[in-house]
Amino acid sequence: MEQIEQLQKEALEKIRDCQQGSALNELRVYYLGKKGPVQGLMKNMKSLSSEEKPIFGQKVNQLKQELSQAIEEKRQELAQKEMLAKIENEKIDITLPGRKPHLANLHPLNLVTQELEDLFIGLGYQVIEGDDIVSDEYCFERANIPKDHPARDMQDSLYIDPNWLLRTHTTAIQMKVLEESAPSLPIKVVCPGKVYRRDDDDATHSHQFMQMEGLVIGENVTLSDLKGTLEFMARKLFGQDREIRFRPSFFPFTEPSVEVDVSCHICNGKGCPTCKGTGWIEILGAGEVHPNVLKMAGYDPEKCSGFAFGVGIERVAMLKYGIDDIRHFYTNDMRFMDEFKRFE
Amino acid sequence: MRISRKWLSQYMDISDLSIEEIAQKITDAGLEVEAVEHQSQGTNLVIGEVLECTDHPDSDHLHCTKVNVGNEVLNIVCGAPNVAAGQKVIVALPGAKLPGGEIKKGVIRGQESNGMICSLLELGVDPHLLTEEQKAGIEILDAKAPVGNTDPLQYLGWDDEILEIGLTPNRNDCLASFNMAVEAGAILHREVKLPAYQKASECGGLTKLQVSSKTKKCPLFLGKVIGNITIKESPLWMKELLRASGMHSINNVVDISNIVMLETGQPMHFYDKDAIKNQEITVVDGIQEDYTALDGVTYALQPEDIVITNDGKPIGIAGIMGGDDSKILDTTTGLIIECAIFNHVSIRNTARRLNLATESSVRYQKGIEPLAAQKAVDRAVQLLIEYADAKEIEETVQYGQTPYQPKTLSCQYMAINDRLGTDFTKEEILEVFKRLQWNPIDHQDHFTVDIPSYRTDVEGMADLSEEVIRLIGYDRLPSTLPMMEMTEGKLNPSQRLRRELRQYFTAQGLQDCVTYTLISTKKMEKAILSAGEAIELASPMSEERRYIRTSILPSLIDVVSYNQARHIPNINVFELSDVAAKEGVQTHGAFVLSEELQQTKWTGYSLPADFYTAKGLMEAILEKVGINEKRIHFVANEFDTQHFHPYRSACIRIDQETIGIVGQIHPQYAKETDCKDVILCEFDYGKILASKKAKIKYVPISKYPSVQRDLAFVMDRSMPVSQVVDVINKHGKLDKEMIVKSVEVFDVYQGEHVADNEKSIALRILFQSDKKTLNEEEINTLFNGIIDAIQKECNATLRN
Repeated sequence: MEQIEQLQKEALEKIRDCQQGSALNELRVYYLGKKGPVQGLMKNMKSLSSEEKPIFGQKVNQLKQELSQAIEEKRQELAQKEMLAKIENEKIDITLPGRKPHLANLHPLNLVTQELEDLFIGLGYQVIEGDDIVSDEYCFERANIPKDHPARDMQDSLYIDPNWLLRTHTTAIQMKVLEESAPSLPIKVVCPGKVYRRDDDDATHSHQFMQMEGLVIGENVTLSDLKGTLEFMARKLFGQDREIRFRPSFFPFTEPSVEVDVSCHICNGKGCPTCKGTGWIEILGAGEVHPNVLKMAGYDPEKCSGFAFGVGIERVAMLKYGIDDIRHFYTNDMRFMDEFKRFE
Repeated sequence: MRISRKWLSQYMDISDLSIEEIAQKITDAGLEVEAVEHQSQGTNLVIGEVLECTDHPDSDHLHCTKVNVGNEVLNIVCGAPNVAAGQKVIVALPGAKLPGGEIKKGVIRGQESNGMICSLLELGVDPHLLTEEQKAGIEILDAKAPVGNTDPLQYLGWDDEILEIGLTPNRNDCLASFNMAVEAGAILHREVKLPAYQKASECGGLTKLQVSSKTKKCPLFLGKVIGNITIKESPLWMKELLRASGMHSINNVVDISNIVMLETGQPMHFYDKDAIKNQEITVVDGIQEDYTALDGVTYALQPEDIVITNDGKPIGIAGIMGGDDSKILDTTTGLIIECAIFNHVSIRNTARRLNLATESSVRYQKGIEPLAAQKAVDRAVQLLIEYADAKEIEETVQYGQTPYQPKTLSCQYMAINDRLGTDFTKEEILEVFKRLQWNPIDHQDHFTVDIPSYRTDVEGMADLSEEVIRLIGYDRLPSTLPMMEMTEGKLNPSQRLRRELRQYFTAQGLQDCVTYTLISTKKMEKAILSAGEAIELASPMSEERRYIRTSILPSLIDVVSYNQARHIPNINVFELSDVAAKEGVQTHGAFVLSEELQQTKWTGYSLPADFYTAKGLMEAILEKVGINEKRIHFVANEFDTQHFHPYRSACIRIDQETIGIVGQIHPQYAKETDCKDVILCEFDYGKILASKKAKIKYVPISKYPSVQRDLAFVMDRSMPVSQVVDVINKHGKLDKEMIVKSVEVFDVYQGEHVADNEKSIALRILFQSDKKTLNEEEINTLFNGIIDAIQKECNATLRN
């Protein structure tokens, strides 16, 4: 019995002190193997009395179990340690840069155009475009701009020949839409596009720029409907607190015609350099479609009415993002473009 | 136009309103006041008399003066060269605020100075309105000027306040102050009284004067001889009004012609009667000669110019400037009045060519109301009698006429409210037209108004509604949304696809760009995948903007070189835009890749800007939009080898149609553009849009296992890999079922261990059946068949 206890003590100590899987394996083979000391104890059975024999046998078996359990526990402990060591060894520097995909973005003019398109699509408008080259007839005549108007002079607009020119406003698209739709109602469209003027390029002028015009014709579409619509637009573009104001103006294709101001989004109407201290920023021109325009397109102005508005995309982008020079849009400097990366 | 408080005060009482209040109200009603100008500025001013004036002991130009300002005598040091004892002058007392700063008591080089004797310039008067003497020294008042008067500017008539109004083209009638006065009265709710001058010219005896026109560009000419007039200085009120309008006073007669133009909007010209001996005036065009106008400058007349002639010789450039020979001089004793209508486009062209924007030409260009000429003659005769002692007046002669029919409009009250979306009462609407002096008459559900001759812009109900809302005020306009049947808001397929493309390319790292439509001849000649013969502008602004582009790439290449010149790395850009040619309009897409499209240097990860990246970009998007990969082909570029590297570029085809070109820039072209080693691609978006797209249709996933086999061959370098893949596909059938599911090229090698003219390619084939589990023998049979076929058909050798 003493031998058993001694062996138990010795073996458990060795197992406990073991630090390596291979050594543990050796211990297992040594103690629990057929030629090992535990098995060797069984030889002593012969010298025992028949009462002692089963007790002794039981003890040896107990020892066997105890040792294999201790070895198993130790094995798991070592495996755990080994894994921890391995993991620790796999440590990486998480501060190194990631493989960040280079995501480019929409040009700010396309960004603003899309934003406006989506806003009006949400209100049930269709988006209609047209060619940059238009006839004098659709650019001017149908828009109620008389033959002798300075804009119709070959020297003042970019003509190709006496009848064709690069459109000076997206109104030219509207005139086509009107004619093609007549006499069906209602019409609810926005018409984005590039337009061209004989202007020298500087910080505030560009011979090419973008416009988007809106046109709504129905049975009783009023000037107050225009106000509500533009209020909706101004708030979407510049924030929910914006107010708009109409000032009387003149465009040949609308009557009454208005200039539309939005309360300054920079200073909230208190007055700042952006709004030149007035609290208001001019953003677009609009009005009730002139009866002559409806008549020329084949509508009866007694039976329907509607409004039109035209907004400059560059103007909106410049106001929205605080851009100071219109030429930036056409230089395509990557450092400038990079600034329009975010979702908004 | 410019209108001042003094101008308006002739016609109405506005003494209770500040100029700023007036400006705001006028602006709110649609006549935008762009600036409020104070003719002069200065506080704490007084009229003084210089009692003594001696040279400053310590200066070669200063004077020491004693000035009586009424309640005291001040010592003032004055630097003006023209100061002298006995003069009545304007004194700014200590504390006076002048445009240049505040006046303080001080000592100037040892001499006490308690104020300043002022020039008008120092009081903020526009130098253009001053004479050289006035600008050079202090203002000297007349001997009767009351010493101690604390408003010298008013005494001199330099105290006016001026509104600079930007008129919209429909309201050029307001260039005439009579019309502007009625407008202002309507806006400010004031009663307006204009001078009674009607029929003032219906006087005079027989005349020998003959006027006529030989050109349609002059439909009306009124002429009148005033046999005797006295030239003298104009009365102060006339000078003041001219000053406020930015004009100089010349003499009473010339001033009257200008005042009448400012009042009625009708330019007129007075000729010295003696210069037109035979009393005949003819308006012509078709003259081509040099002519000296009254400003002393010689102008080259062209046949399209309208010219006033006497005896066949020019005496004036019609509507722009009179002649030197017949102008009114101090010695003039009689005159001939010209009051005519000239074609505004013709005047515009002549004025522009001669670079002469005169008060007269500007008015002609903007159009003159039909009754203005008669009004002007009446008013001029009235003023000439009163201020120039006009005598020996002869009857008016007239050539031609301007048709005019008085206009009365009738309009439903409801129509106005329906158009505006308002609920204005009858009374409110009638009140607006009363204010405008349009004699509104109520007829139950509608009303009538008389439209004045000068309101040529008013044609119907829409115009009346505008008058109502602008004069009642836009603050009364409600805010509503249109009530109508539901409409579907949407993009059309082309608009949707364009957005998909932009979305795709930006997500791959290509920056969306917008470049100009108009390009130079040089760029036009460099068109890639040109839409056709380029369209040239009739009169381009500059060589840089001569043609409408037929292709995007030349502009996009510019963007790359611009950015590369600024040392910005990895420029990858694309643009989607219309291009146009004589053959028609197309929508093109284009991109340029340089250096790397994606990279993370320290990890060694890179997506290089090369042919295969560009090809892959196009393959993926074409598949994405629904074009099966089997329909997409890249074939040798025989289309454009001028801009593209002939051996590193390809035409992109959908089925048999070429839709674009992709490849490396030609080294020669790269040199010309300063763009090294870039990859170019331009494609016809319209063709992608138009090509038939596959719809999504579910195909069940095979239930049976797949088997993968690799193989490698050595073959001639010129053998296209696509041919090998085709052979595999051709021999990929088992019992009529295509069991080769995919072929992947996973290695291409040339170099060591491979002969110089050969290459090694490695392929991975995936076999799978939808019907059964393939057994080893079946696969081996097929696989060996494929190997044999490749060896035979591609002249290749299997590698071990």
